[in-house]
Amino acid sequence: MENVIEVRQLSKSYGDLTAVKNLSLSVKAGSVFGLLGANGAGKSTTVECILGTKKPDTGSISILDSSPIHDRKTLFEKVGVQFQEAHYQEYIQVGELCEVTSSLYKNPADYMDLLTQFGIADKIKSPVKELSGGQKQRLFIVLALIPNPQVVVLDELTTGLDARARRDVWQILRKLKDSGLTILLTSHFMDEVEVLCDTICILRKGETVFYGTVSEAIEKSPYEKLEDAYLWYSDEEDMTHEDL
Amino acid sequence: MKTFNTMLKTELKLSLRGMDMLIFAICMPIVVLVILGIIYGDKPAYDGASYTFLEQSFGAIVSIAISAGGVMGLPLVISDYRGKKILKRLKVTPAQPVIILLVQITIYGLYALTSLVLLYVIASVFYGFRMQGDFLHFLLGWFLVLVSMFSIGVMVGGLAKNIKVAGILASLLYFPMLIFSGATLPYEVMPSAMQKAADLLPLTQGIKLLKATSLGLPVENVLPSIIVMGAIAGVCSFVSLRFFKWE
Repeated sequence: MENVIEVRQLSKSYGDLTAVKNLSLSVKAGSVFGLLGANGAGKSTTVECILGTKKPDTGSISILDSSPIHDRKTLFEKVGVQFQEAHYQEYIQVGELCEVTSSLYKNPADYMDLLTQFGIADKIKSPVKELSGGQKQRLFIVLALIPNPQVVVLDELTTGLDARARRDVWQILRKLKDSGLTILLTSHFMDEVEVLCDTICILRKGETVFYGTVSEAIEKSPYEKLEDAYLWYSDEEDMTHEDL
Repeated sequence: MKTFNTMLKTELKLSLRGMDMLIFAICMPIVVLVILGIIYGDKPAYDGASYTFLEQSFGAIVSIAISAGGVMGLPLVISDYRGKKILKRLKVTPAQPVIILLVQITIYGLYALTSLVLLYVIASVFYGFRMQGDFLHFLLGWFLVLVSMFSIGVMVGGLAKNIKVAGILASLLYFPMLIFSGATLPYEVMPSAMQKAADLLPLTQGIKLLKATSLGLPVENVLPSIIVMGAIAGVCSFVSLRFFKWE
């Protein structure tokens, strides 16, 4: 199986507002795919349609050759997910959250191993809400890895982290990638994208304005840095000027 | 089953850590029982009555934990977990999100049951309480009231826009029922106009049923109450199943 995630002609609108229009993408096995765009560009809607928590108006979606809606039960044994904001109970402790998450899967990974690997094993008795931003994000990666997934979907993983914590998270993701995991992530930090992503898709107002590798993105723009190229692709004001 | 048990264990710990239900479902009914015990002791309910005032009130006091869990605990926890997107998170796992609702219903059921046992023991040991009616009939009535109150709670939690709305609705349901349905303030001491108003509250009907079964009064007398309880359970369950908002 070459493509782990396959999206064809996805469209989704909320009333009059078009959130995503005719989006197609494929994520190759073992690669890191970055879905980029400003806030409101349609990243989260795309991710939710891919995961089946939102129903697309048109288009087809498959993950590991399964439908996220109809094959939910079997598919999500193999897919780890981290949503944009953390979802946990007010008073829950790290160990409890891991234990409950493990109980959702048939063959979960040993979460103690994962916590040790990610350097937060000593936090097992701490309330999740008392962890630092970086520790929390590491915990959420652990949760996404508990199913022993073949693919993980991470929505804005490093938003709200300081520079050090973000670098730590990148290192972890690179290691995971080296071990063969397929990763779909959304981000609006270009330094992170440059380090991690094999393929990127830039969205602007729900439409794909660039699709390809990081170096192609730079080549096809008048700039030499990804950050500038990204802004050139995604900046709404500039594009309006060009339309004129 | 593994998922249910692990979740039950954890959610129970979280609920105990939160303390609210320990206070409202476990301590409060005992306080009410003790106060009524101190005031009325083993006095008969009225001159020539075959049962004591406390025995008459038992059915009302056991409903405190049911309504605390049903119309206060459940709506709040459901809307909280929806707001925190815990329900949505479960949608991207192999588990059914409904499992966490069943876990919560079980937890509040356990609070109500614990309260029932404690009240029974304390009333029997200290205030000479005897169950006059058939125990099985009483338990069936208790269960019907539980189902009915919990179905109101799941419906409110399932439909409320956010936790703030759920909190307001829960308070509007819980406090009037707690005070005016006879759960704390005995129905028998209310003026008759107030009794008529109280009759409109669902819990009042539930308490009539619990009183009749615990005192061994003819069940025919409370047939309307049984029908009301059953109808509430049916309508609220239907609305919950049909319109429950997962996110």
